[in-house]
Amino acid sequence: MLEALTYILIIAILGLNALVSIYGIIYGRSLVKKLISLTILSDTVLVAVIFAGFYYAYPIVPPVYQDLAGTGREFLVKHASDPLPQALVLTGIVIGLAVNALIAFGIIQAYRLAKTTDARKVVETLSGVEVTE
Amino acid sequence: MSRRILVLMLLFSATLIVSFTATIILNPATPSELKELAKYYVLNTINETASPEAVTAIVWDYRGLDTIYETLVLYLAIVGGLAIFKMSEEALLKTRIGLTLLTKTSTKIIALLITSIAAAIAFHGHLSPGGGFPGGSAVAVASMIIIPVFAAGTLIEKGISSTKLVAIRGAALTALGLVALLPVVRGLEIVTNQKFYPASILGLPISGSLSLYNLLESLAVASGFTAVALYLSIPEEAYKGGSSA
Repeated sequence: MLEALTYILIIAILGLNALVSIYGIIYGRSLVKKLISLTILSDTVLVAVIFAGFYYAYPIVPPVYQDLAGTGREFLVKHASDPLPQALVLTGIVIGLAVNALIAFGIIQAYRLAKTTDARKVVETLSGVEVTE
Repeated sequence: MSRRILVLMLLFSATLIVSFTATIILNPATPSELKELAKYYVLNTINETASPEAVTAIVWDYRGLDTIYETLVLYLAIVGGLAIFKMSEEALLKTRIGLTLLTKTSTKIIALLITSIAAAIAFHGHLSPGGGFPGGSAVAVASMIIIPVFAAGTLIEKGISSTKLVAIRGAALTALGLVALLPVVRGLEIVTNQKFYPASILGLPISGSLSLYNLLESLAVASGFTAVALYLSIPEEAYKGGSSA
């Protein structure tokens, strides 16, 4: 019962987190706040990917053998954490970092041209079109 | 209390209530053993890739082609950022003072410690948790400490420019591509590991190409993020009356 509760609770909180960050991306005024919401959303997705490999066992060990002969195979199959989501998340974090840096470069450039990070004012200054609410 | 916080608290309590009721009504079965695919990876990693670490084996062997293309995405993102940010290094040379002597000395010690730990993470990536990506990111952390303390202008005077860093990155990526392409010479598939590269050299376990990939990838990630940090550290005064608009 408690195991099922934590399982569902984690899924629900991840959903709530995604909801709030999508709200931030759509309704945030500042481009910087939009970027922060985007990083929260991507981290939520990464946690969800890690959670896909989740299972109940005790103790949990990393999926690493202690020697090159491969002793303790049976123990590792019963107690190792899932290596596949870890591998996906490992690359996903670095790619996310690079893409965030690219977006940050764009925001700084927009700030330099428009002297503001407010998304609507940036559009107004750069295109000359009035933005209505 | 503002309306936004109230809505957030309502959402949170609704999430709690929904998950409690869902547990009571559905009472789902929770997974209690590894998935079949993960079992395969854990059981066969030593025989098939000569690496006792299943995560590195997946990243650079089982899904090696994926990772190489992801490295390409990383490279394009950094090059794209630097292209948007086109900037003469003369503006950077105006910032040359940095922080006090005390801070500089302590930063030297801390940066050395971080870099040595990062090297351990990167070079033992095929034997213990870690690898090229985390090791390179740790080196980037060290450079992100160094840049504000010593000022970007000083580093450029010493000959560390982002052009050179991007060149290092390009060279590391080219070497990485060569490591991936070499097995084709003998008619094997691209990104082949154990059929082409030896499992150990002079008694040192190197897990075939995995340690080479980790080494080159850490070099590429570290130099790429250092270049980004160098560009992002340009102070705003450097643009006043500049050529931007």
